Amino acid sequence: MNARDAILGAVRDGLRGASAPPLPEPNATSAPLSIEERIARFTAVQQKLGGVVEVVADRRAACARIGLLLARQGAAVAALSDAPWLAGVADYAPVGCELLAADAARERLLQADVGVTGAQWGVAETGTLVLASAAERHRLASLLPALHLVVLPVRSLLGTLGEAFAAMQGAAGAPVARTLTFVTGPSRTADIELTLVVGVHGPKALHVLLVADDDAK
Amino acid sequence: MNSMRPETFAANAREALADATLTGALRRATDTFADRRAAAIGAVPDWQELRTRAAAIKAHTLARLDHYLEQFVANAEKAGAVVHWARDANEACAIVRDLAAARGSKRLVKSKSMATEEIHLNAALAQDGREPVETDLGEWIIQLAGETPSHIIVPAIHKTKEQIGELFVDKLGIPPSSDPQVLAAEARTRLRAHFAAADLGISGVNFGVAETGTILVLENEGNARMTTTLPAVHVAVMGIEKVIPRFADLETFLRLLPRSGTGQHLTTYQSMLTGPDPTGQGPRELHVVLLDNGRSRIVADELMRQTLACIRCGACLNACPVYQSIGGHAYGSVYPGPIGAILTPQLQGMHSAGTLPFASSLCGACKDVCPVKIDIPTLLLELRRRAVEGEPAAAPGAPASLPTRRKPLEALGWRLWSWVTRSPARFRAASALTRLGQKLPFAKQLFGPLRAWQSTRNAPELAKRSFRSQWRGPVR
Repeated sequence: MNARDAILGAVRDGLRGASAPPLPEPNATSAPLSIEERIARFTAVQQKLGGVVEVVADRRAACARIGLLLARQGAAVAALSDAPWLAGVADYAPVGCELLAADAARERLLQADVGVTGAQWGVAETGTLVLASAAERHRLASLLPALHLVVLPVRSLLGTLGEAFAAMQGAAGAPVARTLTFVTGPSRTADIELTLVVGVHGPKALHVLLVADDDAK
Repeated sequence: MNSMRPETFAANAREALADATLTGALRRATDTFADRRAAAIGAVPDWQELRTRAAAIKAHTLARLDHYLEQFVANAEKAGAVVHWARDANEACAIVRDLAAARGSKRLVKSKSMATEEIHLNAALAQDGREPVETDLGEWIIQLAGETPSHIIVPAIHKTKEQIGELFVDKLGIPPSSDPQVLAAEARTRLRAHFAAADLGISGVNFGVAETGTILVLENEGNARMTTTLPAVHVAVMGIEKVIPRFADLETFLRLLPRSGTGQHLTTYQSMLTGPDPTGQGPRELHVVLLDNGRSRIVADELMRQTLACIRCGACLNACPVYQSIGGHAYGSVYPGPIGAILTPQLQGMHSAGTLPFASSLCGACKDVCPVKIDIPTLLLELRRRAVEGEPAAAPGAPASLPTRRKPLEALGWRLWSWVTRSPARFRAASALTRLGQKLPFAKQLFGPLRAWQSTRNAPELAKRSFRSQWRGPVR
């Protein structure tokens, strides 16, 4: 007998006649928050975790702000995701800062000081960014560099984790992307005497730009 | 420390208690954890409802585990994952060894996983010269020291920062430092090189979703994202009990697990992986190794089945006065603390781990903090009974044990106790006799087999007047 049949057979035999208590409904979603409340909540949680959140007027303003932040960071290499509108960053990037595309060689991406990506959703109650790999190539740019700059349209800022799970599941029930990543603040550890250290393997700093008016220009 | 086995629990515990550095580190860590957890759940108004729902989801799933496993596998395979089944640790290790050998993988990285500790995967891969580099900071420290984890969530909880600093000087040749910032920065630099060169990544699985075939890996450091993103091949080892029915159920468990484990409202990262990523940003291959290793036996035992509801948060360790005093190594098992005391005998058999259910004061703190409401004290008592009666820890087919723990004198004592307490008259007479006996000058000194019990405890004293007599008679 192969292992699959042996294990499933053992489980089935062991459960013969067992009665299963009913499966409870998933958590009901709570009352929706206003957009101001969502922004306030998201910002407060991120700040507590060491993240920075600011609101910018539109995508153009976001690109300008990113250029300024790259300069301030003294970035030599920045890794960009393939979100089409991030092309606008080139207009504002400081002189001497090399911009890497999402399909750049792994070795080059590992050298990036800053990663610039979008996020597909935000979750106000937990201060979480949701990255969906099908929408954007941002798995490496959001992970390898020491500073992660994220742009999120305000209209994609959801209230609760429950809303995020509903949004992440497509009409047919399958997740909307093969890789879905929750990012809540910069990477951290407390493995040495439970002392908090911010910035271990993932980004040491997280900077979120909320775009108020997301009509592409 | 690493040679400790459950059989020698009493000696292990004595050794741990004599280590002042260890007990100090444990006390600080478990107190901190308990405070953080209390603060985190205090901010959740529906905490009890959450626990109730999570317990119900787990109870339902485990009672239909064959169905949900088949559904999980069908959906994971549909998404392109390759699913392997392992009856025991040897089969699981062989699967991973073969995968690595067939691909000629040379550099392996691993993120924290209790299931891979349980099957001793690193030692198995080391036989082929392929020992993975542990990438979680705590696990890496433990690997450098050649030790085993002593806590489910914080593997190096037993080590002080000074000890870790000395270890880094010794193994890495860096200048002495006991600053966690400096030590963590060193880990970032060193492990970057391993991530960049890795060709196979190994992770555990926190939850597997039947409805979608998704696996969820939860972490804080980013090392699990690295491990499941950079290498060309990702192998995830998952106990068969990790399956949950619906994608939306993740929400319930994500609200419970980090708060119970570290007191965070959410850990920094959750990776939800459904088959390999066709966008080319991650590994080309995703393999899921489903591990039984004794779990199907536990499923078959109606009372013990709830043991498998555990989501490995570690809250019961932090709450347990025994764990707080002796730490994880003394249990001599991969899973320490209250959950280890019920899980290990069921996985390994009573003959080797029958001592562990006795390593508890039955205070019930573990049950109070458990996010999925496992009735650990009841299971501890039942396992004690089975150990004494010589029954297997989990039915059926579990390795039978010898009734070595049955002591005739103790059994006689309990029979006498039972006889006395079943009649009000006998109970009153015995109480009166004891009150009289307490007045004797040598009464505090217990005799015979009770003296051993008294070596670490004071004999309890009966009140001068019983509650019953106060209730009946005039108040004095």
